[in-house]
Amino acid sequence: MRTQMQTTFVVHVNGRPVITHAGETVAAVLLAEGIRAFRRTAHRGEPRGVFCGIGICYECLVTVNGVANTRACVTTVAPGMIIETGGRP
Amino acid sequence: MNEQAELAVVGAGPAGIAAALAAAEAGVATVLLDAQGRPGGQYGRASAAADENVAQDGILRQLADSPVQVMTDTVVWGAFPTEDGAAWELALYGPRAPARLTARTLILATGAYDRPIAFPGWTLPGVMTAGGVQAFLKSQKIAPGRRFLLSGTGPLQVAVAARLVEAGAEVVAILEATRPGLRDVRRLLVLWGQWSRLAEGLDYWRALRAARVPFRLGWAVTEAHGAGAVEEAVICRLDGAGRPIAGSARTVAADTVAIGYGLLPSTELTRLLGCAHDFRPELGGYVPRRDAEMRTSRPGVFAVGDGAGIGGAELALIEGRIAGLAAARDLGRLSEAAAETAIKREQPGLARQRRFAALLSALFAPAAGLYALAHDDTVICRCEEVTLGIIRRAVADGAADVNEVKGLTRAGMGNCQGRVCGELIARIIAAETGRAGDPAAIQSAGCFTARPPIHPLPLETIARGASRQVGK
Repeated sequence: MRTQMQTTFVVHVNGRPVITHAGETVAAVLLAEGIRAFRRTAHRGEPRGVFCGIGICYECLVTVNGVANTRACVTTVAPGMIIETGGRP
Repeated sequence: MNEQAELAVVGAGPAGIAAALAAAEAGVATVLLDAQGRPGGQYGRASAAADENVAQDGILRQLADSPVQVMTDTVVWGAFPTEDGAAWELALYGPRAPARLTARTLILATGAYDRPIAFPGWTLPGVMTAGGVQAFLKSQKIAPGRRFLLSGTGPLQVAVAARLVEAGAEVVAILEATRPGLRDVRRLLVLWGQWSRLAEGLDYWRALRAARVPFRLGWAVTEAHGAGAVEEAVICRLDGAGRPIAGSARTVAADTVAIGYGLLPSTELTRLLGCAHDFRPELGGYVPRRDAEMRTSRPGVFAVGDGAGIGGAELALIEGRIAGLAAARDLGRLSEAAAETAIKREQPGLARQRRFAALLSALFAPAAGLYALAHDDTVICRCEEVTLGIIRRAVADGAADVNEVKGLTRAGMGNCQGRVCGELIARIIAAETGRAGDPAAIQSAGCFTARPPIHPLPLETIARGASRQVGK
């Protein structure tokens, strides 16, 4: 069995191509890109980002490949993934 | 699509893995389910970039070598008795999961999550839980910020701070909200024998001293501020009841505030199944009632690990093993004598770990004042944006428990289903009725009724799996 090399590939963050590594979460990619506010709340339009980091609080919601309300902290990147932040339900 | 197993273990953290291994070793056909992409839970998080064939430690290695069928990326969103009452049906959601899994026996090992503490500005991006920071460091090998301020109670913060320093992040300070007194020295005798834990603690301590990270006893973050994200935090000295001391406030620049005030058990499935629960504040609140073999009040349902009461990874391993052995005996794979002998062997370790967990719990429970930092305009239910002021008005209008508050305000109706705001609202009810911090008052405020799905799901998932009407 050969050692798995750390694969890199491109995803799109708000329309911009970003190089990521296999196994990274969407949240990690966004934070590395300096994006801390992932969405705005429905009523007060307040910025929200990662809170619990383990997938139970549903704060870190972004749109992934067109699917809204996807938890960034438990979603792993895939080649060509389209990530959009700043949504407001 | 309905799969069958003798034993289904929900949650592949230390408790679940230990249970699955013990049962499988006795020959039980075991399925181990986890919502994450790999087993290990929060405690056993490995680097996402780890080589496939790198030797894994201990139980993860044993799991890989065992006949346990591991189903990752699988959320258990409901659990129901089968129509004939002889087995349990789990409702599943995941890319490779069948819609349903029927098992004669269930071992629930659903783990825990960080206790949320509310204060003005806590919803700003940049305020995270210590466990969340730890998850980033362990799995993603990055620090989720640059300049960290840690505020909380107990040893987890020290471990997180040490890892942050190792990752090259700046740790502005570690604020420990408690101030252990002399009477606690006697309690520390419980540490006798916990050599590896003490050694680990010492390592962290040395790393933090070398990095000159300030450590303050009796302080906490009371506010966070910033335009769009955290830029600075207010820290205060606390009195014996956890209340900020007037005039002690200082402002500290930070881009990330990590709050670590202990853990809360994930009891959605045990409550959904109708298991009897007791209010045990020292274990994190409402926890399933269990016997010496980790059985709940529902026949064929066991509960182990932090999900059944906060106690740490070592305790989780032992409880998991005991339940796995008992389940194997129930399923006829182990003789009474063999099971009894094996379970008896676990008792000294069980007692020792429970004593240690009780020590930590007693020393590091957040004082009542920490639950009263919010202002009237501070959001308490983050999902539905319900403020403290609105909740207070609901209590004044007669809401006596968290479900009544939910009915009046929508608090608890959002995506997280009350995981984050539940305990906070129970404590607000107690405080508003003049009994702040009183365990009896907090208990009577109750917890949100658990209803399926216990995680938000696409509607088609429920529609796809519906094959029959579930009668009364």
